[in-house]
Order: sequence, then C-alpha cells, then structure tokens
Amino acid sequence: MNANRRTPFPWTLLRFWTLRILPAWFLIALMIFLFQLAVCGIVHDNQRVKAMLQYIDMLPDFIKAFFGGDALQYGNIAGLIAIGYQEPLVLLLYMLFAVGVPTALLAGEVQRGTMELILSRQTTKTHVYICAGLITIIGMYALVVVMFLGTVVSTNLYEFDQQVPLYSFFKLAVNGGILASAAGGIALLAATCFRRGMAVSLTVTYLVINYFIMIITQWWPRMKWLDPVTIFNYVDGAKIFNESAWPLSDMCVLLSILLVSAVLGGVVWWRRDLPL
Amino acid sequence: MKALEVQALTKRYGSARGVEGLSFSIEKGEIFGYLGPNGSGKTTTIRCLMGLLRPTSGQCRILGERVVHGKATEHNHIGYLPGEFRAWPGLTPRKLLRLLAGLGNGDEFDKRQEELAERLDLDLDRKMRALSKGNRQKVGIIYAFQHRPEVLILDEPTIGLDPLIRQAVLDLIRETAQAGATVLLSSHDLSEVASVCGRAAILREGRLVELAPISRIVQQGQRSIKIWFIEGTQIPELPPDELPGVRVVQQNENTLHISYQGTVDALLKWLAQFPVDRIATTETSLEEAFIHYYQKEAGHER
Repeated sequence: MNANRRTPFPWTLLRFWTLRILPAWFLIALMIFLFQLAVCGIVHDNQRVKAMLQYIDMLPDFIKAFFGGDALQYGNIAGLIAIGYQEPLVLLLYMLFAVGVPTALLAGEVQRGTMELILSRQTTKTHVYICAGLITIIGMYALVVVMFLGTVVSTNLYEFDQQVPLYSFFKLAVNGGILASAAGGIALLAATCFRRGMAVSLTVTYLVINYFIMIITQWWPRMKWLDPVTIFNYVDGAKIFNESAWPLSDMCVLLSILLVSAVLGGVVWWRRDLPL
Repeated sequence: MKALEVQALTKRYGSARGVEGLSFSIEKGEIFGYLGPNGSGKTTTIRCLMGLLRPTSGQCRILGERVVHGKATEHNHIGYLPGEFRAWPGLTPRKLLRLLAGLGNGDEFDKRQEELAERLDLDLDRKMRALSKGNRQKVGIIYAFQHRPEVLILDEPTIGLDPLIRQAVLDLIRETAQAGATVLLSSHDLSEVASVCGRAAILREGRLVELAPISRIVQQGQRSIKIWFIEGTQIPELPPDELPGVRVVQQNENTLHISYQGTVDALLKWLAQFPVDRIATTETSLEEAFIHYYQKEAGHER
C-alpha cells in the first residue's frame, strides 16, 4: 500500500455526466443558433428593420434598454445584430444552462443519494468537483461559440449594405464567454449548499439582480455609479465595437470572478460533509 | 496488520452527537457484526470509514492506510453497500454496474456481475426505475461484490429481500470471507448477524457498549423457562430473596413463564417443592440478549 499513490482522474464520470447534459446543451445551442439566424434575417431587410425599430421605439426606455438601448439605430448593422447577443430570451437560455448544470451535477447527485455511490469508488471529492466545473464552464463557453457561429453563418446567408465587423463579434463572443463561465462559477459555488432548490434560487437571484442593475444604470444616468457592481457591466458591446483593442481589464475582472467563485466553491465542497 | 481499524473515533454534527470515542479493529478474513438501534451511530461510523464524513477526532485505517476524508482511500479494495442503495433511475443495472466499476480500476470489471445476477435472480437489463425495492437492493449487493474486494462494508445488506435471496446473500458473505475478505456487517436483523459473524460490536447512543464474540453476547442475555403445574395447583409466588434476577414473564392458570440469568440450578431446586407437570426451556436468541443489553445499559432493567 502506497499512501502517496495518486487517484486517477475519473474520465468515466466526466463522460457519463457529459452525456447526461448533452441533450439539454444541444437544445439550448440550437435555439441560440436559430435566434442569431432570425435576428440577421430581420436586420438584413431594410423594410423589416424599419418596422422593428418603429415597434421598439414605442416601448418604454427601460424595455428598450433590454434590447440594446441607443445602439438600436437604422443603419447600425452591428448594433442591430448584437440584439441577438443580449436579448432576454438568449440570456435566459444561458442562465438555464449556468444554473441547471452545476446544481444538477453536484447538489442534484447529493440529493438523489448517488453522490455516495460515486464517492465510494476510486474518486476523490476534488475530482468530482473538477468534473462538474469543467462541464459547466466549457459548456457555457461552447454556447457562446455556437452563438458566434450563428452570426458567422447568417452573415454569409444574408447580404448586408455594409460590412459586418465579424472580428468585433468574435471579441464580443470571447468576452461574453468569460461572462457566461463566471455565471457558471457562481452556480458552482451555490451548488455546494447541497440543496438543488436553494442553489438554483441563489444563482438566479444573483443573476437577476445583476441584470436589473445593468438595466437601471442604462436607463437612469444618476445610477451610473452602480455600474461596476454588476457582472454584466464587464461585457460592453459599444466599447468592443468602437475600439480595436481587446477589453482586457473587463476580461480580467470576469476571470477573477470565475476563479474566486470556482475556488471558493471547491473549498466549501471539500470541507463540507455529505448530508446524512 | 488489521484489515480495518477505528481508533478513538468521534464525530459530532454541531452540538448533535454522532459517535463518541469508538475504538475497535477487525482481523483479515473476519466477519464482524455491527449492531445498534436507529440513530446509534452505525452509519456515521461507516461513512467515516469510507471517507465520506470528516471525523471530529480520531482516525480510521483500512488495510493499514489512514482514511482521509474525500480521498477515496483504498476504495478499489472496498466493496461498499450503503444503507439505502439509490441509483440513477434511467440506467439499467448492467450500465450502472459498468459505470461504477469504471470509476475504479478499469480492469477490475469482470464477468462476475453475470454470475452474481444469476445467483440473486436479477434481470440486469431492466431500468432501475422499474425495479422493486428488493431488486434494487440486489443491484447494490452485486455492486459491492462484483470487483472481489478485500474489505466489504455492508450497511443492512438484506433489507427488503425475500428469505431465499437473504440466505443466498448470507452464503455469499460467508464464501467471500472464506476466500480471505474482511466483512463489516451492520444490521438490524440480529439473527442474521448471529448466523454469519464471529464477533460483534454493540453501539448505543454513539458509544460502544459491547465488543465480544457472538456466543458471549448471547450469554449476557436472559434465558427463559416455561413450567406447567399439575392441574388444580396454585401457582406459587417467586421469592425474590432466594432467586435474584428471576422474574415472571407471563402467568396463566397452570403455567408460569419465567426469565432468569446465570444457571438454572437455584430455580430448579425451588421448583422441586411444587407439583410440576413438565418444563420447557427456550434458547436465548441474540435479539433477546440485545434487548436485554439495551435495557440494562439504559438503566431500565426490571
């Protein structure tokens, strides 16, 4: 018996969990992809754009802010396509994955009693946490890649009057991917409470509060000082489209949130006993 | 080297008690019974042994290696059956067992599951959600035994099984121990413990109250005797001074059911004064000994 023998990484568990999550991931990815096609389908047609903008103009400012605020102008193709990146339905789909996956894998397995089986084999608690973290974070990032692919495909399908700045969309997608992964990190941390309902509530509350802070600060200039508080502030579409440089400071903030929440979740997960 | 050691193990849940200062060890090839009522700390001990719970103090060792919480110490050599075997409802037992085998050494998975399934009369290809409680328990048993472990930790292995399968499981435990494996058998079914275990520990409110061979534990219990008096005889009253530890369990018109401790000599001498038709003795079961033990420990002895 060698006390220093390392426990092999549980690839079997990673594969099993990935296969369980894959159908939901495909469904969400498909909806996000189709949504990008739909948005570009509308945006490439001037008549439709006019009709859409007229419709959006009728809405109150704070609802207009949901769809992109001042970026929604006739002729601003990039701003209009970016609706597909920040539309509430798309964000809801991301949130579904971010909240559902880690809570199902960690809190869900604990609640079902199957975590006891997993940990009774040659699998450490750290490995289990890493598996859940990899699936969440890579899954979230992959959804963003699908969203960007949706834009690439649809800009090839439809003709636009002006060139679509795909490189800027790529930067937006990379930045958005880190945001999505950070949301996944928060959900991982919440999942260490071992109760799925509680974990979902905590993550949804966190994300909804952050989202509404963003809307409030866009709608009400006097509340601008709240900007740094919200996680959504660190994906600034206008800045990405207007500046050629990468938004490194924003990306660092999001990476820090991801790192801190994931590591903190790992520590809590490691220290806590499984509930009897 | 002991196969399994628990040294001064204490586990508390905040202010609530789990187990307190437990110490015992199990030799290689031994079948060790672990007894106690609900909430006495059996599952807590087992989960500490499996590294699922972090002990407040003390330590456990399996096959000489110290168990570290969350580190899967020697889990490849352990067959574990939790108290309540719950699995993914959408999987078939075959897929479930393959998955769990794959979470250890890939090469440990063998065709033994087929042999065990046949022995326990289980269909490996029906979904878990379609299986009865007893059949799910059979899956748990196959899971614990399929990789020929050196140490088996079984929490209530025969719960929900019919008598025939129960017997098959007990035979399996005996065979595995004969082949050199060590078994820790936690159970409420005391006759089951008596039938397979050489030694047993009794736990009460998180503390070890007995650790002895089964035969000695049985002797601790009360024995009983039933006396039929000749018709028309008035049943005499027991003299507590002459017969300490003797008490009436049941009294009818002509019969007296008495329980006693130690030898029956004094009781027979006293009975010789009366017109006795016949007497019958009943063998003390572990259960009676166990209940008696608990009453005594709890200070309820009458």
